[in-house]
Amino acid sequence: MDKHSSNIKRRRLMQAGGALAGIAAVGPWSLAQAQSGGRIVVGTWGGDYSKLLSKNIDTPLMVPKKYEVVHDIGGDPERRAKMRAEARLPRGTSDLQGLSAAQMFEMNDAGLCLPIDYAKIPNAQYLLPQMKYPYGVGHIYSGKVILYNPKLISTPPTSFADALNAKHGNKLGIIDIQYQFTMMAAALASGGSMTNYEPGKERLIACRKAGAKILPTNEAMAQALQNEEVGICIMWKARAVQWQKAGAKVETVAPKEGVPLYISGFVIPKNAPNKDGAHFWLNEMLEPSAQEAFAEDMGYNATVINAKIPPETEKRIGFNAEERKRLVDLDYSYLAKNDAALKEWWDKTFKG
Amino acid sequence: MAAVVASPARTLAPGWTAAAMVAPASIVVTIGIVVPILILFRYSLNQYTPAKMMVDAVTIENYAKFFTDPFYVAILLRTIRVAALCTAICVVLAFPMAYCLARTRSRFKNLLLMVVILPLFVGNAVRAAGWMVLFGNRGFVNTLLMESGITREPLQIMYTELAVVIGIIAVNLPFVVLTLQAVLEGIDRAIEEAAQGLGAGPWRTFGHVILPLAMPGVVAGTILSFILAMNAYATPVLLGGPTFQMMGPTVYNQFAGLSNWPFGAALSFVLMTATLLLTVTSNWVAHRRYRR
Repeated sequence: MDKHSSNIKRRRLMQAGGALAGIAAVGPWSLAQAQSGGRIVVGTWGGDYSKLLSKNIDTPLMVPKKYEVVHDIGGDPERRAKMRAEARLPRGTSDLQGLSAAQMFEMNDAGLCLPIDYAKIPNAQYLLPQMKYPYGVGHIYSGKVILYNPKLISTPPTSFADALNAKHGNKLGIIDIQYQFTMMAAALASGGSMTNYEPGKERLIACRKAGAKILPTNEAMAQALQNEEVGICIMWKARAVQWQKAGAKVETVAPKEGVPLYISGFVIPKNAPNKDGAHFWLNEMLEPSAQEAFAEDMGYNATVINAKIPPETEKRIGFNAEERKRLVDLDYSYLAKNDAALKEWWDKTFKG
Repeated sequence: MAAVVASPARTLAPGWTAAAMVAPASIVVTIGIVVPILILFRYSLNQYTPAKMMVDAVTIENYAKFFTDPFYVAILLRTIRVAALCTAICVVLAFPMAYCLARTRSRFKNLLLMVVILPLFVGNAVRAAGWMVLFGNRGFVNTLLMESGITREPLQIMYTELAVVIGIIAVNLPFVVLTLQAVLEGIDRAIEEAAQGLGAGPWRTFGHVILPLAMPGVVAGTILSFILAMNAYATPVLLGGPTFQMMGPTVYNQFAGLSNWPFGAALSFVLMTATLLLTVTSNWVAHRRYRR
């Protein structure tokens, strides 16, 4: 019995020793992992946006803290489809997804987003209230304005009603992928509202009949403005600034009906493998240095109040006090509920 | 002597040998194609709701929506028209090219074949981007036309059916040429010489001798080109623009743009079935016509 007991003790001692040896072996690794932060997969659009995320956030702010940041590049439709397809998996393949505010709402509505733990994002204390969603964080914002070429459009427009007008004939350009904002602007110009786009449809049909050009992408519109095939359109002010920098001779006007906000931000999928890392990345995204660099490089406004944007940049990309009063947010619930019907009308009736 | 006699225990029955040879490819096809198609078919019977995207159901409402909506039927008919036109032009253009390649004794034959294959080294999207440079309002074609005084205003080539047809022909032509060339190589030159020796002219030789013998290649090339054109995606998107809609981009738009997987799956099945039916029918007609 004693012998047996001593055997058990010895065995337990050996087990404890083994466990200690295991902790000793694993401990430094865990510590290193904790210090390194690990790998973060950021779902994002490609092109300039992805490059600037690397240049302004990943390389200067994440890499020194031993994080490895990988970009999962793709259009938002593909990435949203991926989020939906991965929803049943215990572990997804991305830690963050870059989406517009409307898409963030839609993904949260589908139950795919992790509630943001703002206690883990100290920089969120400086975040503009409109950019702070329970399910996502706004990264940059701009507003929908009118772009026109004074050489082709002699009377400067002041409103969406002036811009989305059949009188411009084939000098009016409309971007296909911007169907939601175009229908919204047409609605605002025709007595509609953020929760009723119906009144704008007649106006859009009239423009189409008058020869308005439908261009597939923002880039195609930039080219059409540059070539003077198009003289007037509606677009984010940030893009207008980029196109002006590229040599397009266009002026911008904040429409008097209101300036619809475009907010781009990030959500954390519920099954993100590195949720802490994702929160840390969001915190670094809101660092003033990163926000200032995005304003300068991309023409979008900062979403934190402690970013110091140079006055000349602010003048170029921002909105004055009067215009700021007209900034209006979208009704994301209305958009989510009606998007399929709006797109169907756009494809069948407007373009068809 | 005993060493060369195979042991019966080690020899597989002919049926098993064939099964062993077919099995790897069959497994890949089953896992990679049949299973996803079955899943897709199941999805096509589900219901769509904007919030949940897909709700389990067994309904034919997605198919009914397609066939009762003239908008979607018009897209299918347009796709069939474009695919048939592109295929017909491809076969007409490819035949003389393939014939020359098959009959040439030039030492540059391999080089000529490489020239035909070369466009296949470039992806469809890249090729379409090239056409965009040519067809744009300030592109090469319009600049040439305006500089030479033929036109005063740029012609609208981009975002038209013409641009899509040219783009798809450019993609499909090498496939048809190579298919026809392989069959024409196998036709003995002596048969043509015999026909001509019996007094048949070049057109009669072509119509009564070469074409019937080359028919397996024509059918194969036609099927290949038709399937590729029916399912074209990059070319209609990039050259057709937002207002020219074909089935491939419409399927993608339902899945990725609107997250309407049930209707997207139904569209996929309609496209797949239409392609299959038309292909089988044309194959059957061709075989009946040239059975002799």
